[in-house]
Amino acid sequence: MTTMLTTADLGERALRHTRLRKAMAEQGLDVIVAFAPGWRRENVRYLTDAAVTGSVALVVLPMDGEPAAFSTRRTDLAAITAKGWVSDVAHLDFPGVTAFTERLAELRPSRVGIAHRELLPVAIDAALRKALPGTEFVSATSLLDNARLVKSDWELARMRRSATVCAAGWRKFVEVLEPGLPEYRIVAAVEGELKRLGAENNFMLIASGGDEVRGMTPPGRRLLEPGDMVRTELTPQMDGYWLQICRSAVVGKASDAQKRSFDLFNESVDAGLSVVKPGVTAHEVAVAQNDVFRRHGYGEYCTSQYTRVRGHGHGLHLDETPIIEGNHTVLPENAVFIVHPNTYTPIAGYHVLGDPVRVTASGHEVLIDTERKLFESEGAVA
Amino acid sequence: VIRGLVVLDPAEITDDEWAGRVSRLQERMAADGITIAFVYGDVYRSTDIGYLSNLCIYWNEGILAVPAQGRPTFLTKLSPRVHTWMRATSKVDDLRSGKAFGPLVAEFLTEQETGVVGLVDHPLWPVDLAAEITDAAPGWEIRSLGGLVREQRLVPSVAEVALARAGASAMRRAFDAATAPGLDDRERVALLERELRGHGFTDVLATATSETVEATGQYRHGWLHLAEPLDPGWTGPLGAVLRAIVGAVVPGATRQDLAAAAAPKVPAGVDWHVTCVNQADMATGGEYVPDEPIPAGAVVVVGVEVLLGDGHRVAAARTVLAGPDGAETLEGQ
Repeated sequence: MTTMLTTADLGERALRHTRLRKAMAEQGLDVIVAFAPGWRRENVRYLTDAAVTGSVALVVLPMDGEPAAFSTRRTDLAAITAKGWVSDVAHLDFPGVTAFTERLAELRPSRVGIAHRELLPVAIDAALRKALPGTEFVSATSLLDNARLVKSDWELARMRRSATVCAAGWRKFVEVLEPGLPEYRIVAAVEGELKRLGAENNFMLIASGGDEVRGMTPPGRRLLEPGDMVRTELTPQMDGYWLQICRSAVVGKASDAQKRSFDLFNESVDAGLSVVKPGVTAHEVAVAQNDVFRRHGYGEYCTSQYTRVRGHGHGLHLDETPIIEGNHTVLPENAVFIVHPNTYTPIAGYHVLGDPVRVTASGHEVLIDTERKLFESEGAVA
Repeated sequence: VIRGLVVLDPAEITDDEWAGRVSRLQERMAADGITIAFVYGDVYRSTDIGYLSNLCIYWNEGILAVPAQGRPTFLTKLSPRVHTWMRATSKVDDLRSGKAFGPLVAEFLTEQETGVVGLVDHPLWPVDLAAEITDAAPGWEIRSLGGLVREQRLVPSVAEVALARAGASAMRRAFDAATAPGLDDRERVALLERELRGHGFTDVLATATSETVEATGQYRHGWLHLAEPLDPGWTGPLGAVLRAIVGAVVPGATRQDLAAAAAPKVPAGVDWHVTCVNQADMATGGEYVPDEPIPAGAVVVVGVEVLLGDGHRVAAARTVLAGPDGAETLEGQ
């Protein structure tokens, strides 16, 4: 069963092919291969619009002609065909990957760019070199990353749906908080809500406790206590597109320290958002956030000892370009990323706060409507 | 994406059993002349590392370095900020974080007597990382190894089977609720997510269509799967096929054997396929391994899927134990 593509779908597919082929010409590539290991499927999604699940999926996009797609999972073949973006679809054997190498060899390429070439399994790399001994293989990871950086209206419509689900997930998170509830049951409730609303996946970390909390992890059996601050980042994926919300909530009433911590982080988010406009760099957004911590005497907590990034890009991968000092990637209009200064401070422990934004022609647009505040749960507190 | 309960519970797996897993690998290493075995894992395929250490790679990548003698060391791109949590939930004390594996490996190897590095499941390693390890180990012999840890995992221990039974029982209860009449597809998936994660599953992948409901779940480090058709027109026929498949699950049987047993029961003229995946391979859907005989005592996912003409599919599957007296469906039905 193949979905009839709308005019908008056809336009989006054509836009992507044109964008990629322009970059291919600039880099002297005859073919692009999008390689998807199980944990990095964004580029195959970009070229198929299909949610593949196989351990290995590949798409071959030649400079001229139609793309072809391959997967080690048979159910993926129907999923890709059904989307209608690629009609030449074949099952992939492992480790031979014969259908893929034969299709590629037919194109007689001199130079092939492979997105996520660095993650290509040794066995597939060997099969490629054996089948195409005279071909040069280079990484096209950055090429695809750059192509995906600026979102089209078609993509933004999907991301706005993700934003709605983000907000609903956070509401459920706060709703279930009560003393005695184990962390993993919070996650179970939120996952159920996200799936009920149509999310196809979610990335979520959590931490509960007091000022001893240094970072977020998968959930454990720890039981919530009155006064705990419960931190999370929720990242549902809708129609392929991930979007994240970062918030913290207190079980019961917030302490003065927790409120002071929130004020610091909120000021930092505001500072980060204030510099967002076309042409700003990831470095500049990070500096704006970190300067708030430095001004208040908490600069050391912006280092890698305590935190990772001050945000990151969103799209078909949940953790795209990092918002971090030293990353001078330019963020053009319609780039989407989250501004989150999440880190530990001795004020109230690890604090999580952040909003996803789109770069607009004159500044930024926050994509979620969840209030930026320190939430307090209304669950039974002794 | 792993986001459920991560727990280290000595009441489930004893310290002796954890130590025995590493010792067994070290015995094999000694026999093969391997000084250090590197086991690679990422957020998608990390069951080997979980089996040896209970470490959870919830994001990114990691390498478990197992010396021929002594305790393993974990090398990871995850932040040192989570070392406290990792120590609390794993059997590894020596955790080392860095932005790249090369320097971590180089530093680790300088502390060892030069010998042979073995890359476990080498054909599956990212090609650049394998090269990075080689560059970081001058003077060392680099040897490609097969799935040594997977081989250990193919037949679960008594404790692992007990966990699998507990997980399968929970999955059956959730599944019965999720397949009740009156729910839409999203509600079925939501219910499975909520109930299974609420029971302590580490990972859940649930799907529902008008034809089939399916749930794959990881309970601790063991995998379970359940699928049933919703369409009454398929319930009877696929039930008969599934019974034939389960009845053919005996030690030594292959997927082809199961397909042969199923064939007489399959309705004529349909595009069908029998699945048989050891739970040890469920993280990757069994896609990296050939059709192998089922080992005695293994837990395997077996089933049948029928591809419908309109691109849809209908499926039935169970997780079963290949015991000496035949197959036992773990969820008890």
